[in-house]
Formats: sequence, C-alpha cells, structure tokens
Amino acid sequence: MAFSTFEVPVGPQHPALKEPENFTFTVDGEHVVGVKLRIGYNHRGIEKAAESRTYIQNLYLMERICGICSVAHTTTYAQNVEYALGKEIPRRAEYYRVIIYELNRIHSHLLWLGVAGHEIGFDTLFMYVWRDRERVMDILEMLTGNRVTYAINTIGGVRRDITPEMADKVRKSMDLVEQRVTYYKKAAAAEPTLLTRVKGVGILRTEDARRLCAVGPTTRASGVKFDVRAEDPYAAYDEVPFNLVSYDLCDVLSRILVRVDETLESARIVKYCLDHMPSGPVRVKLPRTVPPGESVSRTEAPRGEVIHYLRANGTDKPERYKVRSPTLGNLPSVCEMLTSKGDYVVRIADIPIALASIDPCFSCTDRAAHFVDPSRGKEWSWTFEQIRKYARKD
Amino acid sequence: MSKPTEQAILDELRTQFQQELLEAKVTRDRRIFIEVSPRAYKPVMDYIVRTMGFTHLSTMTGLDSTEGFEIMPHLSRGGAVLTVKVRVARDNPMVETITDLIPGATLYEREIHDLVGVVFRGHPNLERLILYEGWPEGVHPLRKEYKAVQPEPLRRV
Repeated sequence: MAFSTFEVPVGPQHPALKEPENFTFTVDGEHVVGVKLRIGYNHRGIEKAAESRTYIQNLYLMERICGICSVAHTTTYAQNVEYALGKEIPRRAEYYRVIIYELNRIHSHLLWLGVAGHEIGFDTLFMYVWRDRERVMDILEMLTGNRVTYAINTIGGVRRDITPEMADKVRKSMDLVEQRVTYYKKAAAAEPTLLTRVKGVGILRTEDARRLCAVGPTTRASGVKFDVRAEDPYAAYDEVPFNLVSYDLCDVLSRILVRVDETLESARIVKYCLDHMPSGPVRVKLPRTVPPGESVSRTEAPRGEVIHYLRANGTDKPERYKVRSPTLGNLPSVCEMLTSKGDYVVRIADIPIALASIDPCFSCTDRAAHFVDPSRGKEWSWTFEQIRKYARKD
Repeated sequence: MSKPTEQAILDELRTQFQQELLEAKVTRDRRIFIEVSPRAYKPVMDYIVRTMGFTHLSTMTGLDSTEGFEIMPHLSRGGAVLTVKVRVARDNPMVETITDLIPGATLYEREIHDLVGVVFRGHPNLERLILYEGWPEGVHPLRKEYKAVQPEPLRRV
C-alpha cells in the first residue's frame, strides 16, 4: 500500500563509515521496501586529471584514489602501463608487489572487522582488532616508509628492496596475525551477541550476485568463486599457492567469515613469498612514452576486482584513463540486500551493518576544483590562490 | 587460459558476425579487444552474454575520440577479459542499453551518461549519478572540450 510508506533519507553523512553518500530508503513501518542511491559527493575528477599528467605523475595520482587500498590502484596502474609497453618486470619485484598487496589486504580486512564490530555495538572486538592492525601498519611503514600511501610501485617494478632483517620482522608479525585472527574466528563463531546481529541479515542470493556483477568478498560470500588472483593471475600469483575462500550463507555472517579466512590466507601468502622470493633487481627502467594502443589491467583489491583501462596515444600522457573501483561494482548488490521481498525482511536497524558489509569505500567510487552557481547558471574555475583569497574575505 | 582459447573466442565471433566485426585482436594472455558496427552492437552483446557466457561485466568505459564517442563494455569469463568497442556519432550520441542483458550495467551506463553525455536507449532510469543536481545541462566533464582546472606551477619562494 503506497500511502503507508515513508521516505527516510540517510546521508550524505554515512551511518556506517566516515564517508559521504546518500541513500533514500522507502520504509513501510519498520521494514525497508525500497532504496534509491546517490553518490558523487567525493568526485575529484581523477580520470580527467590523469589525461593532463605524465605516466610517472599519474602514479602518485592513482595512489590517492583510495586511502585504504592505495597499493591496489598503483599496482593495477603500473601493470597497465607495463602491459601497454609490452614489457616484463623482474620476478623479485612481482613477488614484492604480492607481499605489499597482501599486507594491505590484511590491514584492510582487520579495519573492516573492527568497523563491523562497532556497527553492531560490539566495541570490544573493534578495540582488539584495531590493536592488531597496528602491527601490520608498522610493518608496512618499515617496508615502504609510509603507513597509508606506500608509494612502493613504480612503472617497471618497485622502489625499494627488502632486507633479511625486515623479512624476519614481517614473519614474526604474520605469526601474530594468524594467531590473533584464529582466536577471533573461534570467538566470533561462539558469540551469540554477534551471531544474532549478522545471521540472515543482508541477504544477497547467489543468482543476484551473478546478475548484478558483484565483486570481491561480497560475491564470494554468496557462493560465487570469483577471484582475479585465481582466474586472471597477475604479478607472482601464478606461482603462489592459496585457497580461494568462499561461503554460501549469503548473509553478513558469511561476509565476515570470508574476510577472516582471507586474512589468514594472506598471512600465509606473505610468508610463502618471503621464503620463495628470487634474488635479483627490483626494477627496470622503462620508456616514458607509451606507443598508441589500449590495455586492460585487473587486480583483486581487498574489496574486490579493480579494473583500469588505458588508451595511449604515443605521448607521455594517457589519452584516456578509466578506473573502476570495487565499491561501484557492489552498489547494485547492496541495494538488493536492503530491499525486503517475500519472507525476507530488512529492518531499519539492519541498514548500517548491511551497508558496511560490502566494505564500501566512496573515495574510490567517486573520482572537479570547478564551481557552478545553479541559481545563475554560471560556471567558473578558480586557482588555489583565488580560493584562499575568497576564504579570507569577510 | 592459453592462447588457443582466446583464438577460439575470436574465431567464434568472426564466424557468427563476419563483416559486422570491424576489428578483433588479442593483445596479451586473456586480453581480447573487438570493435563492432553500431547496428550490430546489441546482437553481438546478446550473443556474447547469453551464448558465450561472458556474464560478468567488469565496467564500461566511455571515451571522447574527438570525431565521436566510444563505448566499451569490459566483460569477463574465466579470467579472459573481452572489451567490445562501439563508436557513437557526436551529433547524436545514442546507443542501445545492455541493462536488460546484464542488470549490473545500470550504474556504469548512468556514469557514462553523466560524464560523457551518451544516451542509452531503453535504460530504466538515466538519472544523474555523480554530477550534482545543479550542474549545468549539456556539460560533460570527460569530453575533450571540457578543460579541467590546471594546478598552479610550483615556484620558489
């Protein structure tokens, strides 16, 4: 009955994460029956900006697409340019990329697990998990020099090498991560507070996950075995053994289990890579201009498949650079999860955890300083200096 | 997936669509690029998705090539990525939607509609997705005529 429904706007201040987007929920009493979505609050025009920068400058632009999976975008980008140049990079560099990539996945999944705990009012879990995540952040800082924007990838390899002492420290931390995560897994499976909040919540059926082209842990938690690392191996993934984690409970619990198991897998991958890294150089010098052509590069970021498309025109700047981050791929799925149908009921209180369960990252989803005055139909651009002057005006 | 499989995919498309297939190439392992004529776009997509089983749409790229626009869905099956290119005229930028074949294309088509200004015929809801409501009509940031703000050059102080 249409007259009994009501529209509840949620956002642009996100109920789950500290990033802006807007959902309009149609509710019938306590039940969510429809959802409309609005993104773009974080759009920074990175694809456009990439066209006016050189391939080397773009490396640093790509790093800033996302603060959590920064290495996912630089790896995909560097790879894409290497593909377009038709050049191979040293094997050691490929192994090193896998190590940083997996450490990034561990920190991202632990971050998410903490946030998920917080969303359901289980802040003890949040505190514990984030303490352990700090260890991984320290390791990343030791290896790359940075906690967030690692700046480790370059076109033609990686910018630093790893010493045996560093490797030992990484191994120790991975042992700790494995031990802690195993404990959380055991604790979570027996914790009624957690189970009642996540079981049967945010259902995404297998056929819907396929139909809506979901990616990453979201699709793997719905029983679809889709992982770029396994089916389209890049860097050193063709040599690194790992288990593709998949659960078919199709709910938030399933997504927690996938991420917890993946964290354990990642810790093992890091240790395997440290033991099997070939010696040799970590980078080669590649030309600064890319011959005309096109290329597609994919990687499996913590949130799912990242795909970049490059059209080169023979200069040192790309003709067009397209970026698709995993969250955009998962948004149709989250709308599906948040719509009641038949026996499946979505309550308003389930919104935050269901939204958080795809691990949304809106920074990478939205990618101008351009000003538009809608009342006068006018548009203009300002330099940074002009903005500063404007801000100083009383 | 090895080379013969990629070749097999190309051969199958060539026999099925012959001269409608304007270009077809394999650039490296698991990377296939084809170009189709605008009138064959929908039938080719239908065949690729329903018969050949490329059911996962990774994304769609919209590109301004100055003479016109190019729309490129990137599909995948078992690790192979198939990029289908279709050219769209500049004076009448319109192409058939593929949301009926792949519901996952909804947001990607809306994104291109916003940023490149190509209209997808038959799309269930082509509302703005990224640009805000007050953004002037007909201004599309990813078109070449749109100039992005250049950062000020660094200078010694």
